[in-house]
Amino acid sequence: MKQYIYQLEFKLFFRNSPAWIGIIVLLVTGFAGLYFGKTFIARQLAVIEKAAVLQKKNTLNNIDHFGKDIGLFFFHNKFSVVNTPDPWSAFANGQRDVNPYLISVTMLGLEGQLYDTDINNPVSLLMGNMDLSFVFIFLFPLVIIAFTYNLLSEQQESGVWSLLKSQTGKSFTIIRRKFSIRVVVIIGVAIVLFMVAKFYLNLPVDLTFLAVFALTILYLFFWFAVSFFFISLNKSSNFNASAMVAVWVLICIVIPASLNLFLTRKYPIPEALQNVINQREGYHEKWDMAKEVTMKPFFEHYPQLKKYPFPQEKTFSWFWYYAMQQMGDDQALESRLAIQHKLESRQHFTQTVALFFPPIQTQLGINKMAGSDLDNHLDFQHAVRKYHEQIRLHFYPNIFLNQGVNDTDIKNYKPEKYIRQQVPSVWVNLLSIMLFASILMVISIFNFRKANRF
Amino acid sequence: MPNRIITIAKQTFKAAFNNKATLALTLLLGLSLCLATYVGWQNYKTQNNQRLHYKELVRAQWLAKPDKHPHRMAHYGYLAFREKHELSFFDFGIESFAGVSIFLEAHKQNTVNFSEAGFSNGMLRFGEISVAMVLQLLVPLLIFFMGYNSISAERESGTLKILLCQNVSWKQLLWGKTLGIIGVCLSIFLPLILLTILLWASLSHWQISADSSLRLLVLIFSYAVYFFIVAALTVLVSAFVRSSKAALITLLSCWIFFMVIMPRITQAVGVKIHPSPAKIEFADAIASDISKQGDSHNPDDPHYAAIKDSLLQMYGVDDVKKLPFNYGGYIMAEGEKITSKIYSNHQKTLNKTFEKQNEITTVAGFFNPYLALKHISMALTASDFNTFVDFQNQAEAYRYQLAQKMNKLQIEKISNIAPGENEKPLAISKKNWAEQPDFNYRFGKLHTVISNELLVLCALSFWLLTTIFLLQYATRWIKTIL
Repeated sequence: MKQYIYQLEFKLFFRNSPAWIGIIVLLVTGFAGLYFGKTFIARQLAVIEKAAVLQKKNTLNNIDHFGKDIGLFFFHNKFSVVNTPDPWSAFANGQRDVNPYLISVTMLGLEGQLYDTDINNPVSLLMGNMDLSFVFIFLFPLVIIAFTYNLLSEQQESGVWSLLKSQTGKSFTIIRRKFSIRVVVIIGVAIVLFMVAKFYLNLPVDLTFLAVFALTILYLFFWFAVSFFFISLNKSSNFNASAMVAVWVLICIVIPASLNLFLTRKYPIPEALQNVINQREGYHEKWDMAKEVTMKPFFEHYPQLKKYPFPQEKTFSWFWYYAMQQMGDDQALESRLAIQHKLESRQHFTQTVALFFPPIQTQLGINKMAGSDLDNHLDFQHAVRKYHEQIRLHFYPNIFLNQGVNDTDIKNYKPEKYIRQQVPSVWVNLLSIMLFASILMVISIFNFRKANRF
Repeated sequence: MPNRIITIAKQTFKAAFNNKATLALTLLLGLSLCLATYVGWQNYKTQNNQRLHYKELVRAQWLAKPDKHPHRMAHYGYLAFREKHELSFFDFGIESFAGVSIFLEAHKQNTVNFSEAGFSNGMLRFGEISVAMVLQLLVPLLIFFMGYNSISAERESGTLKILLCQNVSWKQLLWGKTLGIIGVCLSIFLPLILLTILLWASLSHWQISADSSLRLLVLIFSYAVYFFIVAALTVLVSAFVRSSKAALITLLSCWIFFMVIMPRITQAVGVKIHPSPAKIEFADAIASDISKQGDSHNPDDPHYAAIKDSLLQMYGVDDVKKLPFNYGGYIMAEGEKITSKIYSNHQKTLNKTFEKQNEITTVAGFFNPYLALKHISMALTASDFNTFVDFQNQAEAYRYQLAQKMNKLQIEKISNIAPGENEKPLAISKKNWAEQPDFNYRFGKLHTVISNELLVLCALSFWLLTTIFLLQYATRWIKTIL
């Protein structure tokens, strides 16, 4: 009997065209999101592959041109580090369009090179990417609203409600039944999209998969809870639709946009501009100073390099030149740390406010898992720093001893790959969303009881 | 006859404000507009002051450099900062996604770095609240909520028949309702315009330029047209659709499709159809072009060998050291000329590609008035792509001029005989540095903006004419009773 009623309700639900329109919209935009997300990352992978070929070609070219002067060779020769995209970054492109995924640096001062952006179209950045996470975060809630806003009100407005109520006696069950069918349909569509994503994007089924899936489903539950809450207020269809869309506009657009403006105002980063100036000045002013000013702190920084003979009498030497470059980085250290500190404050602020806004929380959580967030980029920058340091220390002896380029292992160098070491956790994200969904559910059930209509 | 339209408009206006929900929404919107204006203004001030501060610092440091070889100065280079237009507090446009500072040095063209987006932790992806954002996205929503039942409710309550019997024509009804709704919009828009003018005047230190005033005037006019289009469409949907509920759902779906989904999709399609090169591909293409043209670093390069031979012949000497000017500087100037030209050509092609990518969104303005207005608004507040490209071009022109100025100083004032390994390096007086002017970005004039944006202006006009036409003639397809 019970099973039969559910079948009937399903039939009833699928009989009206809005149900089909909603499902088709989600599937079509979902596939579009998958397609555009994958294309975007495929392009980055292609460029990364090309980078290996180009680095080899350029190194050989440079040996050809500047091979006789090892200092000059390393002045020109570039080393690339790539931030290899995780398969999940096709699911959530995050900041991978804004932040460079390939940084090529020479052995000169790093602070002047590290922040170079890729060339990209600012209008595309403004409009944002179309990926599957966008569909889940922005469009699913709207379809949930469209499916549920008139669940109770429509019955009341058409006069069917009193009839239904008089027949069963357990009216809450009717609401619950209608509601659960919509939940099943939406979750079903979500599962279909996840399955397609798994095969289309080659996502491994592991803890990350589980975490992103749980986060997404919880987020959808949050929206069901929101709509359940509005149903429990027992208002008209028009009120429900307007109020729920207003909530969507507020927490998906207006509040995050306002918070973002507040964030940039509260934590501006003039240190970034200061950093460029410090680096530039720290290096260039040394040309007009005694060599001692450069070499003393340089040898303090790298005592192990003292053993190489420094040509004091020469007007110019690569030894001095590279030490001057190092001074640029050393004198920018303070402003560099200041930037880092500001970014940490920003991150802290965002994480705190995200606790109260599930859309922000979900977006940040998915980006974090996909390795396309700011933290990932900062870790990548850190990897570039480490690699740059390693390269410098590796080749300094050859330069300071003025050896031939062919005596080095330069030809073996390939682009360095940065792959993140540990998968982040999203417990906080999951818990905060669950908490909000539960609170709303409890209030709604309380509303239903209090009205004693059921 | 127009009296009736005015009567209906007045009625709609009053009814809107009698409705508590509309009143609350309007107040909320007005409030968020004030907030957006204030924060936008503050943001403008901090960011612009920052840039001006560093601009002065860079200038002072340039002038303070001691006597040295001019080529050292060419490498020391200059930092240029992108200034904001005083109207950009109204519409942020691509401001946060476009870099702020560019390092200008000899032989090398750098990217514009340090965009706000680079420091953003994903929040930016939800957008930024600005006056433009509220007016473009949220005011239409208010119009929808105010107008979705403007006709359908009359129909549902039966008053529509009575109205039409009382000699009110459909045309008058549609126009009246539309104007009434616009009246509500203007009641929040007008105070805001006054506030905008005030803030903008204070940002320009009460020295208002004619160009900015014209820009603001066109801006206000464009927004008014946009509101008219949205209001008219709302009333039309309300007249055509079966019930108020259906009207509301239709309008909300349109809002989501046109303002949330479509901008992303059109841009993604544009990028897909017209792919732009990655930085390494771009750099590689330039490098291979340069090596084709001649390589100033390679002494055996045929192009430079030919220059050398012709110079030796012209001055009748057998060694470049005997030339009456600095040979190294001469070669460097030639190299700079060649590489700059090649680079500029590639940059032009790249910008063309970007323009093609954006074109899809521009053309989509004919299907989506929101996209048309968004473009116009960004262009008028100088926070658009064209302004950014213009900044890049001016910075590059400055870079080239600086490099060649230093090369000229080297040619004229540096001895042709290089000092030995242990001798003092050659140098010229620091007085020369002041000859290099400071970098100042100059914004384009309104007429260039207008001619650049002709297509989107057409799109907005197209929408205006379409809605007027529909208000006038759609009545023949509307049924009084559905």
